[in-house]
Amino acid sequence: MDKVIIVDHLSKNFTVNEGGTGIKTTIKSLFTKQNKKIVRALKEISFTIQKGELVGFIGPNGAGKTTTMKVLSGLLYPTSGFVSVLDFDPFGKFREFLKQISLVMGQKNQLWWDLPVINSFEFNRVIYDVKEKDYKRNLDNLVSLLGVSSLLNTQVRKLSLGQRMKMELIASLIYKPKVLFLDEPTIGLDLVAQQALRDFIYEYNKKEEATILLTSHNMSDLVDLARRVIVVGEGEIVYDGAFDELTTKFAGEKIIKITLSEEVNQKKLEEVGVVKKYNYPYCYISVPRSTVAFAAAEVLQKFPVVDLNIEEVAVEDIVRKVFKGELKS
Amino acid sequence: MDKYFSVFKISLAHEFAYKLNFLIWRFRNIIQILVFFFLWSSVDSTYFGYSQSEIFAYAFLLIIIRSIVMSTKANDVSGYVSSGELSNYLVKPINFFKYLLSKDLAVKMLNIAFSFFEVTILYLILKPNLFIQTNPIQLILFIISLIFAVFIFFSIIILSSSAPFWVPEIGWGVQFLVISIFVEFLSGAFFPLDVFPKPIYEFLKLTPFPYLVFIPIKTYLGNMSTFETTKNLLLGGLWTIILWLLMNKVWKKGLKVYEAFGR
Repeated sequence: MDKVIIVDHLSKNFTVNEGGTGIKTTIKSLFTKQNKKIVRALKEISFTIQKGELVGFIGPNGAGKTTTMKVLSGLLYPTSGFVSVLDFDPFGKFREFLKQISLVMGQKNQLWWDLPVINSFEFNRVIYDVKEKDYKRNLDNLVSLLGVSSLLNTQVRKLSLGQRMKMELIASLIYKPKVLFLDEPTIGLDLVAQQALRDFIYEYNKKEEATILLTSHNMSDLVDLARRVIVVGEGEIVYDGAFDELTTKFAGEKIIKITLSEEVNQKKLEEVGVVKKYNYPYCYISVPRSTVAFAAAEVLQKFPVVDLNIEEVAVEDIVRKVFKGELKS
Repeated sequence: MDKYFSVFKISLAHEFAYKLNFLIWRFRNIIQILVFFFLWSSVDSTYFGYSQSEIFAYAFLLIIIRSIVMSTKANDVSGYVSSGELSNYLVKPINFFKYLLSKDLAVKMLNIAFSFFEVTILYLILKPNLFIQTNPIQLILFIISLIFAVFIFFSIIILSSSAPFWVPEIGWGVQFLVISIFVEFLSGAFFPLDVFPKPIYEFLKLTPFPYLVFIPIKTYLGNMSTFETTKNLLLGGLWTIILWLLMNKVWKKGLKVYEAFGR
């Protein structure tokens, strides 16, 4: 069972009513048939994830990331295609399957609102058949990691958003799931907690050989954690491969970084390529990949250059493009 | 079973956190009973074939039966479906209906305890002439009819809560229609159903609603023929099975179109 997650030509359609606003349209919609529109949230996507992989799942809002996670955790019924997680059909909601997975969403609320947090954890211990000893160890570990040991006996309703997020995470991890679907896990956390959580996910992935699929709009989450990324846009997979290679695949340009010995008019520099940033004595010029050698020679010839470097476009810039939905395969 | 006992325990604790809410809900129940009580003590109650002590017993039983049958957390389910909160329960390795029923057990126990307390108080204030059933067979049949009622009510509520799977905006409306009109009115919670003309009464008994309140009370009072009692029990059992199966079927269909909103 090397392939933990198999997705083959998965499609998911939603029907939406195209209602207008205002009283008139509302009343009219009571008597007439509404315009139903089919939204194709996922269009025949395919990928597999091996045991112990940590995959970043990225794309702009509405690209289909969460929909995929919901299908993989058995919440949504696929319109067509094949899905298997841990050799189970997720939608079957088999107990053995659900005991081994965890879906962590920024807005999920599984805590008992009016009771001390510890009751919710205790409840999950029973529901997920966690042994008392393991439970204790996991809880201590998670609680100290996220720095919430003093809050265990506080009513859930009295926690702040960030504190509640941490508690949600603990509740989701207390039973040591083998497959983790993390949908924006660091949302609402402060920087310290974000880092602590990233470290934890990293460790958890290594130690437990857990398979993790992670979506995030937080750059550090991706840079620190994901070796492999799947980029989705408009319900399709745009890229699936090593995080580092995102740049070579998608950056049509390279960056020439120069250090000047005396100030040069920016207009002149523009003749070589697009000036990304000019902050004397440093200047960053973006030029097409194919002509980078020629451009570099031109720079050396025309300008008083002390130092010159040819660099790849920063991965952050590529990811930023991904979030803007600018990447097309 | 351990799991569901845990659900029961935590639900009980959770209910206690809503003390005021709970008291107000109980208060509402008492008001309804008082309305029933004064309405019936002002008319010549023997008119519909009930003696005064029977109609008082009817009123007092209403308190207890409502607590047993109609106090349920299934009412929240339509909200779960339309808001997407249901997802929280679907990803857990528990059976959702068993989960709800375990929760209900806690809620019902609390309500029953309170209703006995209220009945005692009301009895001391109103000092009515009450009919007490002493025949053990009749009491056992009464308990069986109550168990049927619990499951019929649960199924009806889940069925009406499934509407938001298809029309997410509808949730509250259907619930109101189903509970207020059909259940309250046709179950006998407002008045004994045999005040209706005979054809309507006979027709109503073919629907599941009288088996929620009216039939259990009738069974307690024991003023029916053996044939009638048996027929009622069988029909009640039949509705329990039909609605339970239907509920499961509709729910399964609903899950297929469930969109897990909220994110």
